[in-house]
Amino acid sequence: MKQMWTERVRIIALLAIAIVSQAVGNVLLSQGMKLIAGLSQLTWSNWVAIFLQAVQSPSIMLGVGFYVIFFVLFAAALSRADLSFVLPAISSEVVINVAFADCFLNETVSSIRWIGALLISIGVGLVVRSSPRTFGIASGQDTMAEGGR
Amino acid sequence: MIAIIVLADSAGDVLLTKGMRQVGEVSTFAPRELLAIARKAIRNHHFLASIVFMVMHFVGFLAVLSWADLSVVFPATTLVYVLGTLTAKFILQETISMHRWAGTMLVCLGVGLVSLP
Repeated sequence: MKQMWTERVRIIALLAIAIVSQAVGNVLLSQGMKLIAGLSQLTWSNWVAIFLQAVQSPSIMLGVGFYVIFFVLFAAALSRADLSFVLPAISSEVVINVAFADCFLNETVSSIRWIGALLISIGVGLVVRSSPRTFGIASGQDTMAEGGR
Repeated sequence: MIAIIVLADSAGDVLLTKGMRQVGEVSTFAPRELLAIARKAIRNHHFLASIVFMVMHFVGFLAVLSWADLSVVFPATTLVYVLGTLTAKFILQETISMHRWAGTMLVCLGVGLVSLP
């Protein structure tokens, strides 16, 4: 039982870092994309030009870097926890986004959005309370048997 | 187009999970072992296919954003949580408790509310 708790704490810590990198990546990406002029008229003829501009933008490349960090941590979490555990847990990123918008971007956050953020938090709380790993238990065999440790 | 994005995202998640379970648990911080795991991952077909789907999802998402509002696109993407949980149950053989279902539904509802204009 105690072992299960430490495993849960480990996975949650892993996911927390993943979520923060995704949130930072999002901010950087949207900042970078807004700097590229005329993006709202993305058409088939100008996407090469937009792509070239994006590759040269430091904030976009940094944002992509944070996305890669997110992806690696996400994959690492999935190697030891359920997808149905990780997926809802990742959504707490939306709550961070709402808080970021309120604190750093000076956007007015409506009460409906705060209620949404609250619902997400309760939902994530419920999911995180369940056991992080159910696969390979029901059939009684360790699906990790061939995995290298 | 939103259907394609949601399907690509879910397919990517399932394949990534399958791939990572074949590659093995990441339970170490030792650089040499992490490198060995990474090397194994990039040779895993499920893992590679998942990256293709994730890129498809990302490009599709950006494309949709260029002609639709985020407040329309974002609530629609919450379907990923429902679809992801269903595929986890039926394809990945995970046990979804009532708590987990309730939590996932609250998350969907919350994300929907947050993205209202």
